[in-house]
Amino acid sequence: MTDHISQANLNALADGELSSDQLSLVNDHLAACPACTSAALVQTLLKTNIAKAGQRYAMPAGLEERLKRLARSDTAGRARPSRRSAITGWATAAAILLVIFSGLILLLQGRRRSELAALEYQAQVSEVSDLHIATLAAGLGPQVVSSDRHTVKPWFQGKLPFSFNLPDNLPGDTKLDGANLTYLHNQPVAQLLYTIGRHRVSVFLTEKRSGEPTGEKQSEHSGFKVTSVGVGELDIVAVSDVDPFRLAELVSLIKNVQTGA
Amino acid sequence: MTLLSWKREAQKPGPQASAFEDLALPLLPALHNVAFWLTRNATDAEDLVQESFLKALRGFAGFEPGTNFKAWIFRILRNTYLTSRTGLEATRTVALEEELDEQHPEGAIDRQTPEINLIRLADRAMLHGALEKLPPPLLEVILLCDVEEMKYKEIAVVLEIPIGTVMSRIARARTALRKSLQTQNTQARERGA
Repeated sequence: MTDHISQANLNALADGELSSDQLSLVNDHLAACPACTSAALVQTLLKTNIAKAGQRYAMPAGLEERLKRLARSDTAGRARPSRRSAITGWATAAAILLVIFSGLILLLQGRRRSELAALEYQAQVSEVSDLHIATLAAGLGPQVVSSDRHTVKPWFQGKLPFSFNLPDNLPGDTKLDGANLTYLHNQPVAQLLYTIGRHRVSVFLTEKRSGEPTGEKQSEHSGFKVTSVGVGELDIVAVSDVDPFRLAELVSLIKNVQTGA
Repeated sequence: MTLLSWKREAQKPGPQASAFEDLALPLLPALHNVAFWLTRNATDAEDLVQESFLKALRGFAGFEPGTNFKAWIFRILRNTYLTSRTGLEATRTVALEEELDEQHPEGAIDRQTPEINLIRLADRAMLHGALEKLPPPLLEVILLCDVEEMKYKEIAVVLEIPIGTVMSRIARARTALRKSLQTQNTQARERGA
């Protein structure tokens, strides 16, 4: 790719919409073109800032309850029997059908829940990747600069509604650089900044969003590897361009130290 | 036939409404946020969300399981908005694709000029101002893409336009936002000088 990256491709890069082939070409070009790198960073920062600024209007208190009531009265209104005798006559048949259909509905509900969970996971992957890219792009140091876990952890006291532990014995080429207080889905989270070799890593510690246990998941977004796992009341999400095995190793260390394993 | 009425009413069982609530209720804050951006009015936004919610509930039987519920309900919200009073007013002023292009031609921003600091330092009020200046077709596409984090394919479903049009509108929206931030920044500096 000798020409500059088109505006459409810069947008697709920021939005995680490039195919792996396109991404490879774009990355090659970015490595040699400061102007396009700068333009790509602008798009990414703009996207991150607009995502935050766009979440502007909080839902008024009571709207959800009102809609629930409306939905129930709407459904009941449409389902109200006009002839009790007809219901009695068909009750047995309906009961049998309900048994069959309730099984099907439960299956469908399960499928929809997993679809929702998948969408939420994708959104989380996208948001943490954007935050990681924005951190790299800003070129600023961490808000708390220290490789000492006894300095980094206390820095979050009073800033986060949860607590966490940090591992002491990191592999030889892995180093804690510091941390930032940042926001995911409008919730304060800890962004721990590590270096593995020459690769930068962001590890986000967030309060678990659902009560369900979260197994380890691995994904890829905008060329970055994303590994996430849940432990206790915490979700751990790590983003980097390092070897996924090394990333998973770091996540595993952080996970184990939460439970004392 | 005395049993027809019962047969017709039994097509809407309770579990279906419950499944609908499970899917729709978590999306209410996002629907309300987008509704407020589109209508620019608290009462109209609530009315729009309520009407869309009930339309979606009544049409839930037509929702195809396994397809994207979020895109489906946002499309209902958007279509409800387009047929509302505020939506009709907005559609009268909706620019054609070519006109949108003329307002903010691609390349209007000098890509050699570092803007990173400008965007990083842009405060929320500046970003809100820039979003408010976007024409509705560009505002809705950028809200779905950046705030709702929808994929281009999902946005195409919501807005009922081709993916190519989604991409070009996103490009125009971001060019317009950058231009607007630059203008606001220049004006702020002039005021400060």
